[in-house]
Amino acid sequence: MIIYLYYLLIYGFLLTAIIGLFASWVDRKVTARVQYRVGPPLLQPLIDIVKLLGKDTLIPTGASKAVFLMAPLIGLASTILVSALLWVNNINSTNTFLGDLIVTLYLLAIPSISIMMGGFASRNPLASLGASREMKLILSYELPFILAVLVTVIKSDFSIRLGDILNYQAQNGFIAGDLSGLLALITAIMCVQAKLALVPFDIPEAETEIIGGPLIEYSGSGLAIYRLMKNMLLFTLPFFLIILFLGGLRFDGINLLFSVLKYIGLVALITVIRNTNPRIRIDQAINFFWGPMTIMALIAVMLALMGK
Amino acid sequence: MNRDDILKDINARFPLDIVDIFDKSPKRVYIEIKPVSLTRVAKYIFKDLGARFNTASGVDTRHYMEILYHFTIEDIGLLISLKVKLDKSKKLEIDSLAPIFEGANWIEREMHELLGINFKGHPDLRRLLLSDEWPEGVYPLRKDYKEWDKKAIRDRGV
Amino acid sequence: MSLKLKALLKSPWVFHLSTGSCNNCDIEVLDCLTPRFDIERFGMLLAGSIKHADVLLITGSCNRQSVVRLKRLYEQIPKPCLVVAIGECSLSRGMFIHSYNCPVPLDKIIPVDVYIPGCPPKPEAIIAGVVKLINKIKEGKAKKK
Repeated sequence: MIIYLYYLLIYGFLLTAIIGLFASWVDRKVTARVQYRVGPPLLQPLIDIVKLLGKDTLIPTGASKAVFLMAPLIGLASTILVSALLWVNNINSTNTFLGDLIVTLYLLAIPSISIMMGGFASRNPLASLGASREMKLILSYELPFILAVLVTVIKSDFSIRLGDILNYQAQNGFIAGDLSGLLALITAIMCVQAKLALVPFDIPEAETEIIGGPLIEYSGSGLAIYRLMKNMLLFTLPFFLIILFLGGLRFDGINLLFSVLKYIGLVALITVIRNTNPRIRIDQAINFFWGPMTIMALIAVMLALMGK
Repeated sequence: MNRDDILKDINARFPLDIVDIFDKSPKRVYIEIKPVSLTRVAKYIFKDLGARFNTASGVDTRHYMEILYHFTIEDIGLLISLKVKLDKSKKLEIDSLAPIFEGANWIEREMHELLGINFKGHPDLRRLLLSDEWPEGVYPLRKDYKEWDKKAIRDRGV
Repeated sequence: MSLKLKALLKSPWVFHLSTGSCNNCDIEVLDCLTPRFDIERFGMLLAGSIKHADVLLITGSCNRQSVVRLKRLYEQIPKPCLVVAIGECSLSRGMFIHSYNCPVPLDKIIPVDVYIPGCPPKPEAIIAGVVKLINKIKEGKAKKK
């Protein structure tokens, strides 16, 4: 019993939060440097959250109070759970159980749904507009994401345990080394960019267009929990991709350096995509995910079935 | 048609209505007309000469209230200003140009609420710019406007 | 100084509001957010919604219609907050002091913390004013609720 609490709090919450806040600082500093300016200091994301916890929480009249206040907590709880699950599988791949890949996919859909719930619960037309855009975005990127994950399932002998995928990669090399795995990894990186609501897919929370989207009525502790959830997702989602496609993070000997390079490489790729693209419209995003991305994922699935 | 032709034409058509023509510069001319003939002359300039209605300005001078209607003919670069003088001792009213062209609708609402000129035949003479708490019958751009707000602070405090 | 105030001074998110200005001061505030006078190094971000904001940057002489909206926005900003008046028009209405539409100056409507004079003030002046306010609060000289 104690061991589960230990996994949940230390691995699921603290370690993920620290690495996630650091990755968020790296993202902001690299963006600032690319735009030829000095960026924020190192502890800035943490200070943002501490400051927001000290401000008033204002609830608009007519909003449903229970959903408005519970939505950020639901998102944070699911993020902690999925991080703990991934860490437990990464450390010792015999801790896996049947179907934990499906559980992870379900739990990873909940943070976006909690943002949507929060947007619909605030009684504001701009928030409803942002939440409906988030809903359309979820509908569009879930399909290629699940197809890309299907590639890893096919390659590791049709097993839906995360531990088996890690063991397969320990024996046969990374799944991203083959052609089908590479195509699936590219598709998955695009879907992760949309899940994290970063440019070019940050239509739901466009600052200049709909003034913050679903989060427009949140202030104080609700906003702090949402920001913490997003920063933790900045660690959890690349971690999930590393477990599926790049062999997981290992901490013995030279593999420590490789693990750090794997994670920082993914974060740097996400930042580069973020800085070099404009924001695209919601109908262009849906066409992009249901068009080229799904076709690429289907080609990857067929190549994996043929054994390449 | 060039500038001299246009002026001769207007002179010939409305001999009794024009009081004065003032050639300010090659591109600007001020034509003063009597208030009763405003609709006739404006309709001619707008429809037959094909001019564009720019704006209208109302001024409270010491002796009379005057309204200027500015029309431009862009092909030759001419700005015609029709000047109308209203007597302040009588009731301030004039025919509205809004039924002829829609562009005069809002500017006449603004002149009505800031200077107190009544426009006969205007379809919708509501308040446009002043706030809701402003009292009726007080016209801020007149020369004899007095401060009605008791809570206003008008000194810098130094 | 309490932890709340210390965190507030290290990461103030600004919200820009114009109550009827000629837009010159607004252009100078926009200059502050560009890469040349980068304010993200102080932790400042431009907040889109009033409920995410800590610092209210107000320009313009308050005319009668915008006073109603200004009071509504001041009630919606989560406290503790700082109010900065930028430009001559918001200090004392500037040259519009006898205008029929601007009855009261800004600091009779909402409490103001720092005044930045200039018509318009340069971006260096705006940054210097905000830094002076932060230093005054840190030394405890300014009253803070």
